[in-house]
Amino acid sequence: MTAPLLIGAVAYTPNVVLIWEGMREYFADTDAPMDFILFSNYGRQVDALLAGNIDIAWNTNLAWVRTVGQSAGECRALAMRDTDTVFQTVMVARAGTGMTGLESLRGKTLALGSQDSAQAAILPVHFLHEAGLGDDAVTLVRINSDVGKHGDTGRSELDALRAVIDGEADAAALGINTWESIGREELMPGAFESFWASPHYSHCNFTALPTLEPDRVDPWVDALFAMDWENPRHREVLEMEGLRRWVPPVLPGYDSLFAAVQAQGLSMRW
Amino acid sequence: MVTGSAPTQPEPPQLQDAGLLLDLVEQLGRAPRHALVKVALRSGDAESQARTIESWCARSGNEMVTLEPGVATIRRGPRLDPFADLDPSQLPGTRLWMYTNFDCNLACDYCCVRSSPRTPRAALGADRVRQLAQEAAAAGVSELILTGGEPFLLPDVDDLVAACTTELPTTLLTNAMLFHGRRLEALRRMDRERLTLQISLDSPSPEIHDTHRGSGSWDRAVAGIRTARQEGFQVKVAATLPYEQTHHVEPFHTFLDTLDIPRSHRVIRALARRGVADHGLELTVETLIPEVTVTATGVYWHPVAAEHNDQLVTRDIFPLADAITLVRDRFSAYRSDAVAAAQWFPCA
Repeated sequence: MTAPLLIGAVAYTPNVVLIWEGMREYFADTDAPMDFILFSNYGRQVDALLAGNIDIAWNTNLAWVRTVGQSAGECRALAMRDTDTVFQTVMVARAGTGMTGLESLRGKTLALGSQDSAQAAILPVHFLHEAGLGDDAVTLVRINSDVGKHGDTGRSELDALRAVIDGEADAAALGINTWESIGREELMPGAFESFWASPHYSHCNFTALPTLEPDRVDPWVDALFAMDWENPRHREVLEMEGLRRWVPPVLPGYDSLFAAVQAQGLSMRW
Repeated sequence: MVTGSAPTQPEPPQLQDAGLLLDLVEQLGRAPRHALVKVALRSGDAESQARTIESWCARSGNEMVTLEPGVATIRRGPRLDPFADLDPSQLPGTRLWMYTNFDCNLACDYCCVRSSPRTPRAALGADRVRQLAQEAAAAGVSELILTGGEPFLLPDVDDLVAACTTELPTTLLTNAMLFHGRRLEALRRMDRERLTLQISLDSPSPEIHDTHRGSGSWDRAVAGIRTARQEGFQVKVAATLPYEQTHHVEPFHTFLDTLDIPRSHRVIRALARRGVADHGLELTVETLIPEVTVTATGVYWHPVAAEHNDQLVTRDIFPLADAITLVRDRFSAYRSDAVAAAQWFPCA
């Protein structure tokens, strides 16, 4: 009997346990049983993948970039969520400030989330630089509330918004998921407004090394893609994990983050 | 603002509530599913904050459980479905009970509604039964159940049953002791395809049954069962037993085999501490899955406690759909409270 695949995930919220217990229960009825190991941070998870202690890592985009960097490209993305293919960063300010576009940030203060959050720190700096806004054009306030989690908790982004409320920053950079969680402009018209949104980029993926045998990983990926939103039992897990369906990875969506990590001189290790 | 100009006006209320919104997102985001989270309100407009919380909960699939001065208690979603673990037949509003009357030819010592020959009739009446049956069908009810008292004491029992069987499959509870003369004629006029008779019999021999229901009642009930079967009716037999006896029923089943009553048509229920019974299971609205029950005086939570004020839902029988909705909403609330109570009292 084939040993279950070991999947690594980071415990950024208590519900992660429910999610992975649900996943394990689902896969137990397939040809690809699995088990899971939880980590407190992505750095240790990437280390575990490279050391062969886990078979697959449920990685953020930054964890993927670091896995690629540390393995010299000898790794593969297996799948991602549908929501991971259309991730965005949004710039948010208090309503009525009249800010329109990134150029509006010139001479202003931008609150960023945790230094290892692609959506709330690394990519915003990248997008500013691409728009011709160098390090002395915009004052950056960095709020490192949840380093190690790559921004998964959303806490640093909420703290960045608090900085805007408190007048300590003119704007905040958020992941689109955080913007959605506070209801965009609809829930409290007159509070916040988004004045810029990035192009789509890719976020999380299941990462494996080429040493993982196809006859073990292929059935697992097939079973993953077979999870069905219309099946109430599957939907419970899918809802908690924030997707409707699993999809093949969109690798070009990581180009901007690779460029950002290189340009900003960020370490390939945690 | 950071750009250099100090604020000269108070923060607009939208930003006051924005801070609360961020607190909601953060605290609920790190809470386990279905956990209860207390979120402190901020100084300022409490009503505005309440609206913000309600709007956010509606949008995010979380549930505001209580709102007290200074604090809101919110349950991390998704919303619990109070009906998720119920069998479809148990869903409130699937069946509708109607007490046609409360007088009875017997005075059983455990009757949950205190029926006897001296109990006031309190009849629903043919017009109301007809309207209830029609509204039940429209409201999605799938089965009507008529009970009493003893419905065959009513001179128009066949009209009442016809009003029901015209709309939905119907079960008629009876002690089957009156199937003679005009009452037998009335029985014969009933719809054999759409009507099931549920007849009470508490034991495979007279002793226990007669102790509760009166001397000679067992013989007459068994005769009634045989008559009903001979007349071509579907018959269920229902026994009311003290809880401690409900698992020692094989002799009863053996006897019912001789009456050609299928196993699926046998109801063994525990004695409830209601009505004239001074012992039995304690049943409350919090512990009972409701079965919408209508009497001449109102809508009740369950047939076992009809005419008991603690289980009165509403005095308004019509429109029936509203009463059913009220029962469902209260059941949903009781279930939510039960989950909350379980969380307030951890076992360690």
